[in-house]
Amino acid sequence: MLVELGLVLIAGLKFGAIYALAALGLVVVHKATKTVNFAHGAFAMLGAFASFLIVVQWEWPYWTAYLLIPITIGAVAALLEFVILRPLRRADMFTVVIATVFLGIALGEAFRLTYNTELLAVPGMFAGSPFVYWGVIITQETLWVIAGALVTAVGCVIVFRYGKLGRGMRAMAASVRGAQICGYSVDQVYMVAWCLGGALAGLAGVFVAPIAGVSVELSIAVITAGFVAGVLGGFDSLKGAILGGLLLGVIESLAAAYISSAMKNCVSFFLLFFVLMWRPEGLFPEKVARRV
Amino acid sequence: MTRFREPCIYLASVVIALAISCASCPSIAEEQGVSATGITIGGMGALTGPTAFIGTPGRDGMMLAINEINDKGGICGRKLTLQFEHASSPAESLAAVKKLTEQDKVFVVVLASGSTGAAAAADYVRTNGIPTYNLYGSTPIIREPFAKNVFHGAIVPVEVAARDLIAMFYDDGGNPQKFGILAGTYAFPQATLTAVEAYLKEKKADYVVERFDQSARDFTSQLVSLSRQKVDSVLILGSFSEAGFAVKQAREIGMSNVRWVLDGSAVSKAIIPILGNADGLRGYFNVPYFPGQTASMREFEERLKTLIGSMPQGRPNNYDMIAYGSVFVIAQAIQATGCDLSWPKLISAWENLKDAGPTKMGGLDVTFSESYTPTDHQGNYRLGAAIVRNGEWQVYRVLDKP
Repeated sequence: MLVELGLVLIAGLKFGAIYALAALGLVVVHKATKTVNFAHGAFAMLGAFASFLIVVQWEWPYWTAYLLIPITIGAVAALLEFVILRPLRRADMFTVVIATVFLGIALGEAFRLTYNTELLAVPGMFAGSPFVYWGVIITQETLWVIAGALVTAVGCVIVFRYGKLGRGMRAMAASVRGAQICGYSVDQVYMVAWCLGGALAGLAGVFVAPIAGVSVELSIAVITAGFVAGVLGGFDSLKGAILGGLLLGVIESLAAAYISSAMKNCVSFFLLFFVLMWRPEGLFPEKVARRV
Repeated sequence: MTRFREPCIYLASVVIALAISCASCPSIAEEQGVSATGITIGGMGALTGPTAFIGTPGRDGMMLAINEINDKGGICGRKLTLQFEHASSPAESLAAVKKLTEQDKVFVVVLASGSTGAAAAADYVRTNGIPTYNLYGSTPIIREPFAKNVFHGAIVPVEVAARDLIAMFYDDGGNPQKFGILAGTYAFPQATLTAVEAYLKEKKADYVVERFDQSARDFTSQLVSLSRQKVDSVLILGSFSEAGFAVKQAREIGMSNVRWVLDGSAVSKAIIPILGNADGLRGYFNVPYFPGQTASMREFEERLKTLIGSMPQGRPNNYDMIAYGSVFVIAQAIQATGCDLSWPKLISAWENLKDAGPTKMGGLDVTFSESYTPTDHQGNYRLGAAIVRNGEWQVYRVLDKP
């Protein structure tokens, strides 16, 4: 019974770590620009596709995927912000959000038209013997996904909290006018936020490729899970995004195992509605300090 | 008496007027889709979207066969042309079939969609009467009630597939004690699941069912449940991507000594890269050989590659081969009309075809031949039982009509 619970929890944490990384990218962009980037899932899909190219097609070492893909997808995201979203800066929020929705769809369909296949498989980074702890089997790949995704997420929180990069974004989130007076450039901060969000999405794509394959549907799966995790944790809280992702993964897994296997997906939406109604600021919102 | 005579005269004049007007207009059935130099075949299926792995091979396989037939002079002195419409949702499928029939005025409609598209078009084609060839739909909605103008090709009815799937658990000395069924919650797996459950109940077999949503990637909970219930044989009803990740995760949680049998939609080359080592997996294939297994299959792959430029991962799949074979069946039916090209003549010729398929017309031997009767429009009942050996799928025996 405990072994079974252990297996279910490990699976929940594996997917939860990916959700956390996906949510983190969404929250970073939202925090700095107040825009929910619905193209985020498509960036993750591009990251997964790039890992297919690097690992399977070109047969480069796996670590190059982890190194090159976040940089490349980050650059692509920054470029798209420059080309598509900057001209919409003065438009209302609804227009900007719709633009990101259709940007995501366009990226997905562009991939499908150029690579018309149901799924591209990417091998895991580790294929060695699994570890067994108290009867619970944990593969090296699972351990890598959980540890790698969480270390990256925590690293991102530290950079955002203490780095100069993060300060600018936080200032912009607090007050655009105030940040400008303090010498921060709106264009620069927005571009950096998109770049960082894209890099996180790309990295989530590299982590998710071996456990979910590469398909257009991946972009929907990532954006849905990332969005729900973001709402659960609190859309302005980086720490909340990580905890929300992990919580979502574990709850989905437990619900499927102990309520009904058909409940796996719908439980996340129940959670979303429940949190939106009961605690719209999220379960782990950022504390706001006010000086008077 | 006069009271009855007047309506009779009125009715008679209406009948005469209708008869005159019908005689003066051209017969739609004789003209539609047929000219002095060509015959237009209409096809519909998804070219983008999640079921593009069915529709795109459908279009490509048909195109390959049409090119080959035309290179040999065509049929009845006419070249075949393909008018293919993209349709992924039920509404698009119905719209596509209506467009092909009413605007493009094709001679025959080929449903190269999955069960969902075929189900959406079912009522329309039955009512309209256009000769229709259902390539991939296994749903009973397109099969029942029987329609004289609707023919079904390589994909067998779910009841047949269900029996064959269970039969594969007993191959090579298999002795299943408890079956586990991992089924998708969407239309196609659910249709098969109903048939499988009915058959297992009839056999009084012990079984347990777990479900998953379309495009699911995490099966740990379902697998843990199957493991807890000590199943030794698992049937997966879903796509190759779902089946691939389910088997992969089963290994990760230590589910060994289980025989895996996959539904036909999961039997694909593309499952092998997901698993790395896929040896021992079984499933049925809708054609008699797997790509690469025979010289004709290798030749088919080469010709398809020349047509489409490059071969995407997982192709050619059974949908490529079935679509290719289907055009030869249509061509043979057209030929059997004695070149009297009308819908009734075509339907009559089609339902009397025996062993129709590519080989009779100089095509490649890549599909089961199809035979029809006026009361049975299911052309094929056979399946290939396939297994992965040394990293390659191969058909190891033909499963005949149970």
